Amino acid sequence: MGQRYDAVIIGGGHNGLVSAAYLARAGLRTLVLEQRHVLGGAAVTEELYPGFRFSVFSYVVSLLRPEIIRELDLPRHGLDILPLDGTFTPLRPGDGPAKGGGDYLWRVNDHGRTIRELRRWSATDAEAYEEYGQLMVEMARFIKPILGITPPDLTSLDPRPLLPLASLARSFQQLPERQQAVFVQLMTMSAADFLDQWFETDPLKATMSASGIIGTYQGVRSPGTAYVLLHHYMGEIDGAFRAWGIPKGGTGGISNAIGSAARALGAEIRMEAPVARIIVKNGRATGVALENGEEIEATNVLSSVDARQTFLSLVEPGSLDSEFEDEVRRFKFRGSSGKVNLAVDRLPDFTSLPGFGEHLRGAISFSPSLDEMEGAYDDAKYNRFSRKPYIDMIIPTLVDPSMAPPGKHVISCFVQYAPYKLAPELGSWDDQREAFGDAVVDRIAEFAPNIRDIILFRNVQTPLDIERTTGLSEGNIFQGELSLEQLFFNRPVPGYARFKTPIRDLWLCGSSTHPGGGIMGANGRIAAMELLRSRGRKAA
Amino acid sequence: MSIATAPETETGTYGRRHGDYDVIVVGGGHNALVTAAYLAKAGQRVLVLERRERIGGAAETSELGGARVPRLAHTIGRLRPSIVRDLDLKSHGLRLLAPDARVFAPSPDGRAVTFWVDQARTVEALRAVSAHDAHAYPDFDRLVRSLGRFLGEIAAQTPPDIHAPRLDDALAGLKLGRTFRGLGKHDGRTITRVLPMAVADFVAEAFETDPVQAALAWRGVQYCSLGPWSAGSAAVLLFDAAGNDGGAAGQTVFAEGGPGALSEALASAARAAGAEIRCRAEVTAITSRDGRVTGVALSSGDEIAAAAVVSGLDPKRTLAGLSDPVAVGPSMLWRAGNYRTPGVVSKVNLVLGGLPRFTAAAGDDETRLRGRIVVAPGIDPMERAFDASKYGRVSDQFILEATIPSLVDPSLVDGAAPGTHVMSVIAQYTPYKLRDGSWDDEGRHDAVADAVVAQLDALAPGLAGLVREREVLTPLDLEREYGLSGGHPLHGEPGLDQFFLWRPFLGHARYRLPIEGLYLAGSGAHPGGGVTGQPGQNAAREILSDTKRRR
Repeated sequence: MGQRYDAVIIGGGHNGLVSAAYLARAGLRTLVLEQRHVLGGAAVTEELYPGFRFSVFSYVVSLLRPEIIRELDLPRHGLDILPLDGTFTPLRPGDGPAKGGGDYLWRVNDHGRTIRELRRWSATDAEAYEEYGQLMVEMARFIKPILGITPPDLTSLDPRPLLPLASLARSFQQLPERQQAVFVQLMTMSAADFLDQWFETDPLKATMSASGIIGTYQGVRSPGTAYVLLHHYMGEIDGAFRAWGIPKGGTGGISNAIGSAARALGAEIRMEAPVARIIVKNGRATGVALENGEEIEATNVLSSVDARQTFLSLVEPGSLDSEFEDEVRRFKFRGSSGKVNLAVDRLPDFTSLPGFGEHLRGAISFSPSLDEMEGAYDDAKYNRFSRKPYIDMIIPTLVDPSMAPPGKHVISCFVQYAPYKLAPELGSWDDQREAFGDAVVDRIAEFAPNIRDIILFRNVQTPLDIERTTGLSEGNIFQGELSLEQLFFNRPVPGYARFKTPIRDLWLCGSSTHPGGGIMGANGRIAAMELLRSRGRKAA
Repeated sequence: MSIATAPETETGTYGRRHGDYDVIVVGGGHNALVTAAYLAKAGQRVLVLERRERIGGAAETSELGGARVPRLAHTIGRLRPSIVRDLDLKSHGLRLLAPDARVFAPSPDGRAVTFWVDQARTVEALRAVSAHDAHAYPDFDRLVRSLGRFLGEIAAQTPPDIHAPRLDDALAGLKLGRTFRGLGKHDGRTITRVLPMAVADFVAEAFETDPVQAALAWRGVQYCSLGPWSAGSAAVLLFDAAGNDGGAAGQTVFAEGGPGALSEALASAARAAGAEIRCRAEVTAITSRDGRVTGVALSSGDEIAAAAVVSGLDPKRTLAGLSDPVAVGPSMLWRAGNYRTPGVVSKVNLVLGGLPRFTAAAGDDETRLRGRIVVAPGIDPMERAFDASKYGRVSDQFILEATIPSLVDPSLVDGAAPGTHVMSVIAQYTPYKLRDGSWDDEGRHDAVADAVVAQLDALAPGLAGLVREREVLTPLDLEREYGLSGGHPLHGEPGLDQFFLWRPFLGHARYRLPIEGLYLAGSGAHPGGGVTGQPGQNAAREILSDTKRRR
C-alpha cells in the first residue's frame, strides 16, 4: 500500500494537469496518473513518422485561459504560442467574383486588408463586417465571465449559487436592447441563420459558421451553433496572438508546460499508470486501484476523464443510484470529427491562388458554401462520413519548422464529419479508415490537385481511433457533445454541474464539466477551486 | 347562416364618426377576435377590421365541391378552456367534438400505431408493436402532461419585463418559481435538459420503435422548418402539450361545422359584447404621430382614429409592412426584417366519394380514422423530408397529418351526395423559397396534390379513385390569401430564438410593440401559434392594464 495523498488525479490531460498544479500550489500532496507514455491526453505531440512530429489530435490553442497562463507562469515552463495569421478559403473555378480562373476568400488579422478583400465580394458585406466585429467583441466581453462560473442547481433552494447569475443578469440589463437581442440569438440560433442577418457572401458565411460546428454532431443550420462564433472574438480580447495559434513543438508543448509547472509546484506525475477503478468505501472515494493491482489512498479523487468513463467504468458498480446512472447514460457523446495527419515533401499548391505565399501560414478552410457544409452534416446524420467533408487545414511547419526535416512539412487536417456510429452496411471504422482518408485527400485535391503527389505518409484518426488512444468516449473531442441541453447547469448531469459528484470526495475536472471542451483549462481550474473551497469549509 | 359573411349593415362605409373607437383590431383571425371580445366585455369600444370577406383567418370553414372543409387549420384541441368559459362560447354556438382516437399512424408495411384518449387502450395497442414501448408509454405520457401543465402556466403569463421589472412582474416571477418547484426536482431538472433538445432524442429516451418515435415526434416539427434532429423541436412538442391535457399523443378536437365555427362563436361573443366587426376592410397603414399610434388607414382611403391599435397579423407584416418606418426605427426594422418565417407547409383538401380504407386499419377502421392520421414512417424519413426543404426543394416523400372530419361531424357533408367525406391534409415539407422556379410555375399545385394523393393511396388503396374535388394551398398561397409572411402558419418559426421572452422580439414580448399604443395579439406573440387563443387573451389583459393606467 503506497503512501496517502490529499488528491489523486486520474488522467494527465491538460485539465487534469491544471487541477494538479492548482492543488499542489495550495499545498496539497497531489498525484497525477496518466495511462500513456506521453503526457497530455488529446494534447500530445508524437513523432508518427521518422523526423516528422505531429499534434496528433488537438492542433490549435483556442481559449487557454490567460489567468492560467499567468498564475502558473507557463511561459517560464516553455509555453510559446506562435500566431496563426488569417483564414484562407480556397474555391473552385467559377465559385467567386473573379472572372475566368478560380477564386478564394482570404481574411487576415490586418483588418484593412480583410475589408478590401471583402469589398471584392460585396460592398455591403465589407461594411457589415466592421459592425459585426464590433458587436461580437461587445458580446464576448459580456459572456466571458460565464466561463469562470460554477453553474448553480436551479432546483436547489440555496440561493447562494445563484448569485453569480444575478450579477450576470445585472450586466445583461445594462446592455443596449439590440445587444441583448443579439446575445439571445447567439445562444439559440444556428450559425447560418445568425450570419444570414449580416452577410450575403456564401464562402464568408460558410467559413465563419465552421467554428460553430467543430466537435459537434450538428450542422451549420442546427439551432445552437451560433454561440461558438463568439469564441474567435473572445480570443481577440485576450489579444489574438496569445489566444489563437499553435504551440511551439505542437500541442504537446502546452501539456509539457503545464506538467512542468505542476511538478515545480510539488505535484507528482506518474506515466503509464492506468487506473482500473476508483475505490469507494461507504459512499466516499478513498483512492484508486491501478491496473497493476497497486492501490493508492487519497482524501480526494479527481477524474479528468469523461463522465461516462468515470461513472460507468471506473466507479465500482452499485456505488451510484440507478437514476443518476441513467442520467449519465443519457449524456451524449457522438464523436463527429476525424483527423488526418500528413507528412509531405512539398507544399500543397492551390489552383485558386498558386504559389506558397502567406495564405498557407494560417488556417486553410475547406468551406466553399453553406450548402456544402450542411450537406457534409446530412451524410453524418445517416451515419456515413462526409463525401465532401469540411476540413480545417494547418501547416504547422510554416510557423514552427522544427516539426519536420528541412524543406519538408507536416499538414494537420481536422475533418468533419466522421460519425462514431457507422451505418451497418459500412461495417466498422477499421474497415472504413482508409476510405475516409481517401475522401479527405480527394476533397483537398478539388482545390489543390498536387496533394496526391506530395504525400510521404498519411495517418488517419477516426473517432474509434481517438477513443482507443485517448479514452475519449465515442471519440468526442469535448468529452460530451456541446449541445444546448448539455451545457452549463446540465453539464454533465442536471444537478451535478458543480464538479462534485454523488460520491463524496470524488470530483470531475475534465471537459465533461462546465464550460466544456477545447484547450481552455477552465474546467480543471474551477474544479480545483471548488475542492479547495470545500476543504476550507470543512476546516472552518 | 353557418359561414359568416358579415351583414352589409356592419360593413357600411358610413360607419361611426372618428374617435368613436377606443381600440381598432387589425385582422379577424381567432386571436384577434379573442382580444376584441375580452376588450369589448371590459367596456372598450372595439372595431375589428378584416381584409377578407369572412372573419376567421386560418380558422376557417370553406365550400369545396358541395361539401365544407377546414380550409387551413383542422383541429382546435389546444383552444384554452378558460377562453371557452370566459366568453361563454358554448352559448354562441361552439360545439366541441372529441373522438376516442387521438392519432392513427399507419405504416406502408400495413402495421399501425394508434393512440387513444384512453391511456390503457393505447398501452394495449402499443403492446402489439413493442412490449418495451407499451411499458414506457404511461411514464412518458405522465412526463409530457406534467411539463405541459408547467408550460401551460408560462403560456398564460405575460413574459416578465426585462427592462423595468415592476412589483407585479417580480410576483409573476415568484409564481413561476413556485410552479417550477412544483414540478419537483426530477421534472424540474428534466425540463431544463429537455427544452433545448431534438425531439428525436427526447422520444428515443422512452421508446425503441421507430414508427412510435416518429408518430410522437411529429408534433415537435409540425408547421416548423425543423427536422426531428433539430435542437429545440422538443420544446415545440411540449408547448403543443401546454395548457391542454393532451399528453404524449396530443389533443384531437374538432369544432362542429369546422374551425370556422369557432371563429363564428368568437365573433358572435365579441359582437354581443358590443364590438363592431367589418369585413372587406383592408388596413393599408397603421398611422402614428410622435411615436404614438393614431389609428389606421384603409384601402378605401378612409382613416379611422383610435387610441390603441391591436394587430392580429404577424410581427413582420405589422412592423415592416404596415407601420411607419420612421416610428419603428432602423434597429427595430432590421430585427423585424430578420424575424424568421420559413414556411414549409402546404394544405391539400379533398372531397371523397366514399370513406378511404386504410390497409393498416382493416376491421374497425372507422373509429381509428376519427383522429389525426399521421403519416411519418420513421425518424430518418422525417429528417430526409426536412433535408430537401433546407435546399429549397420539395420533399419527394411528405410527412402528412390528415383528418376526416366528416366522420366525426356529418354536418360538413350535409346536402352532398350520400357517402361523401372530406379529408384535410397538412403536407410537409414544401419550402416557401424554392431553389429553382416559383410556386406560381405551371403545375406546381397539381404536383403537390398528386404526390399527397399518391402517398395516401399507398396506405389506403383506392383513395385516389375516390377524389371528387381537391384544392391546394402552397406556402405562397398562405402568404397571399391569409397574409402569413413566408407562408408560416404560426406567424413565425417557434424556434428557441423566437420564444417566450423573445417572441417576437426581446424587449417586446409583453404584447406592446415599439410604437406606443400598438399591440400584437397574434401567433407571433408569446406563447406562439396554433389555435389556442392564448396570445389574444394575454394581449387583452395587457391592453386593459394600460388603459387603466392611463385613466
